[in-house]
Amino acid sequence: LNGYPLKPLCKRVRLTLPAASLQDNRDDLNRLTMALKKEIKCTDIQIPLPLVRNLGEILRTAQFKVTVLLSEIGGKAEIIAIEPGHAHQPLYGIAVDIGTTTVVAYLLDLEKGRVVDTAGTHNRQARFGDDVISRIVYAVEEQDGLQTVHQSIIDTINTLIMDLLVKQRHIKETDIRVMMTAGNTTMAHLFLGINPKFIRLEPYIPTTNFYPVVKSKELGLRLHPDALVFSYPSVASYVGGDIVSGTLFTKMGNEDAPISLLIDIGTNGEMVLGAGDWLVTCSCSAGPAFEGSGITFGMRAMHGAIERLEIDPQTYEISYTTINNGKPVGICGSGLIDCLAKLRCSGVIDRAGKFQTNLPTERMRIGEAGPEFVLVWREDTDINRDIIISEADVKNLLRAKGAVFAGIRTLLNVVGFELDGIENIYVAGGFGNYLNIPDAIAIGLLPDIPVEKYKYVGNTSAKGACMALLSQEAWQEANNLAGKMTYIELSVGNLFMDEFVSSLFIPHTDLTLFPNVSL
Amino acid sequence: MALTGLDIFKQLPKTNCKECGSPTCLAFAMAMANGKASLDMCPHASEAAKEFLGAATAPPVKTVKVGVGEQEVVMGDETVLFRHDKTFYHPTALAIQISDTLSGAELDAKIEKINGLVMDRVGQQVAIQMVAVTNCSKDAAKFKAAVEAVAAKAKFALLLAGDLAALEAAVPAVAAKKPLIHAATAENWEKVVALAKANNCPVVVKGNGLDDTAALVEKVAKEYKELVLDFGNTAQAKTLAEMVNARRLAIKKKFRPFGYPMLACTLATDAKEEVVEAATYVAKYASIICMKADEKHHLLPLMAWRMNVYTDPQKPMAVEGKVYEIGDVTPDCPVYVCTNFALTYFAVEGEVVGSKIPGYIVAVDTDGSSVLTGWASGKFVAEPIYEFVKNSGVMDKVNHNSIVIPGYVAIISGKLKEISSYNVIVGPQEAVGIPAFAKANYPQLMK
Repeated sequence: LNGYPLKPLCKRVRLTLPAASLQDNRDDLNRLTMALKKEIKCTDIQIPLPLVRNLGEILRTAQFKVTVLLSEIGGKAEIIAIEPGHAHQPLYGIAVDIGTTTVVAYLLDLEKGRVVDTAGTHNRQARFGDDVISRIVYAVEEQDGLQTVHQSIIDTINTLIMDLLVKQRHIKETDIRVMMTAGNTTMAHLFLGINPKFIRLEPYIPTTNFYPVVKSKELGLRLHPDALVFSYPSVASYVGGDIVSGTLFTKMGNEDAPISLLIDIGTNGEMVLGAGDWLVTCSCSAGPAFEGSGITFGMRAMHGAIERLEIDPQTYEISYTTINNGKPVGICGSGLIDCLAKLRCSGVIDRAGKFQTNLPTERMRIGEAGPEFVLVWREDTDINRDIIISEADVKNLLRAKGAVFAGIRTLLNVVGFELDGIENIYVAGGFGNYLNIPDAIAIGLLPDIPVEKYKYVGNTSAKGACMALLSQEAWQEANNLAGKMTYIELSVGNLFMDEFVSSLFIPHTDLTLFPNVSL
Repeated sequence: MALTGLDIFKQLPKTNCKECGSPTCLAFAMAMANGKASLDMCPHASEAAKEFLGAATAPPVKTVKVGVGEQEVVMGDETVLFRHDKTFYHPTALAIQISDTLSGAELDAKIEKINGLVMDRVGQQVAIQMVAVTNCSKDAAKFKAAVEAVAAKAKFALLLAGDLAALEAAVPAVAAKKPLIHAATAENWEKVVALAKANNCPVVVKGNGLDDTAALVEKVAKEYKELVLDFGNTAQAKTLAEMVNARRLAIKKKFRPFGYPMLACTLATDAKEEVVEAATYVAKYASIICMKADEKHHLLPLMAWRMNVYTDPQKPMAVEGKVYEIGDVTPDCPVYVCTNFALTYFAVEGEVVGSKIPGYIVAVDTDGSSVLTGWASGKFVAEPIYEFVKNSGVMDKVNHNSIVIPGYVAIISGKLKEISSYNVIVGPQEAVGIPAFAKANYPQLMK
């Protein structure tokens, strides 16, 4: 829980009410709320009409012993259910990280405050486009597009709930009484069926950054029909709840936090810079190159993906290692970063990524899309094709790494700090686990500061969602963080563009920024 | 040195209430640091913050206005020494001299001529903003008559240059037009400043070099603050040095006596040399240049230069959105469509040149965003592309009906075809594929 106290967003309170009599003739609701106020120190208690309708019967079923299920946040409580007696009933919650590509669900035992199980799957929205923009276009331009895209994420999550419940047979659908989601702004809009049209149009305005709490039956989720569904607040169109969640997890917003940088190395390339009371954030749109997309032989980090390689500077012969030592079928993100560094080291490309076509090796040749360099000959692969990297691939990678570094420089610039002022760099996102920091510094993806300052934090989006579900304080802090994070629009002014162009070299146009890199 | 956003942020209430129109307190602080917001927009600012930030965020160069209504000229409020650091805000006003020795028809003709100095440049009108009536006759009555005649007809703000007697005669007559008074000197400043104050007009303080002017301004500023500086131009190089030093002191050291707009009078007698001299002052901080040249062909390059210097450089790197002809184009040549983002355009241009097949490139105006960024933000999709290609007239130059679009936006080809009835060819994803594409599709055009 990262220091936050266990105080779940949803809990049960067992009450023994004073029995009604001629001396104590208060009405039933008043009797209930007075008793409740003593227990939870909460002045503002909401109770929906359907629960009031049969309250008299319920109170008397077990001689005024009742169990109240409620959510309590910041001095306001909402009663979700009232059950007669004090019998123990299980209470579960579910935290969902809605990624553009992957959706992960965590089933939590709210009373014990622990994760029971997890499940993950692909986001079924992928058939409407790989990236958030294509999905917005689909939702806005196709007939019933929004409804279709919305339904497919609901279906994805329902599948995960079913998976979890099949694995944990003793838990019933109706035992899950609360849900927390974290995802980028587009995902949050699509999840709730909010029109995302204006997210992608200048000046890039989301419909809302703070989302209403809804009941699961309104969305058709396979939980208890009255379960409350919370959505992490966003900051701006391209900085969403997943990043707020990450900021919460890393504690960058704590009062005495040192200057830290959180980078999600993914398609959107969101990052946050700050210390305690100030936080600036941006999205550098790195693109999916590091996930293998848009690269001729790029692939996800799976069996047979090249993850490291060496190029002999004399003979240009190549040695490599693959995941699970499988026969090579492609090259994954970490392999691409290594590859870029080694292509430069061995002189295959110049600092601008241009191929040196006069090298005395058969591996260098001109392909259909310009110069290319053969990494693995076809007879050594599992796909019966030469695995190559082309000049266009290299340019793609340079743009992706340039965008990330330029984003970092721009954030530093707007607050007037230098790179060496950063105390911690948190690397988040699935890719972070495979990233080799010295390689990333060598190509200029990450700043040249001591490796000790780097920390992998993994899927902070999911971790932050779990934290918020288990701790009211964490949830309040998340809302507070979303309100105080300052979004920097990179398309305004020349700052980012100048930095971007300067970053399109290996490692950078300004070599003094990379004193420890020799290429 | 000006305060940074973080310095200002520390003084703010940190409520993030959004009532100032900015999403967070830090965003508001950064807007203040950029001079785009002022503290009074924050309803929760403490008195201590107001005191601290009021002085520290006061503009280094005071804003002074001459003229009224459409003729108003705003001067000062500059914050940088080099335009690429932010931008220069208020373009230099050119003031054309009219001597009060002219009268009747001569005077009318001169005013007509200056009124006619309006030119079109890249779709914008550029004009003279000011006329300077000078008291060459040394006769107060003549000066008053000339000033009244000019004020009645001229479409511009007025600058009145004369001695004390002449100014006292003329200023009250045209005070409603808020003329700029030239000049308060060491000898007469008390009376000239009193005159300016009484008529609510800005006044030029004219000294002799930096030290002398600073001393004079310190005295004047106690009485009145609507000031413009004149270092008493005696030599072009000296004036250049004085204006550079004064502006540096105002911005870097917050030296208050130089925190006002500056005026320079040209010395050269030949009109061409005068324009070159004025060009120097445009580039180096002058808010008003008083000059004699009044021919269109002399002033147009100067006005174009002024426009360029005062263009906001904080715009994306973009080439002009238009049709570019690469090589010796013929009506058979291919038409490539891309965006006007500089990096995109030059990538395409380089490869079209490399293909050795001449072609047209239509750089669609996407506000300088790349192909995929333009697509993502709806600026490089079927309708705007069709509108741009149609209006560019490129299809009239060729004898075919085909356009080549980038492979990355293949998804829009159907819709584009539908609304345009062009034959839309999806080209390679990367510009580097253009030579192979061109050789395969247009072998007959190869040289």
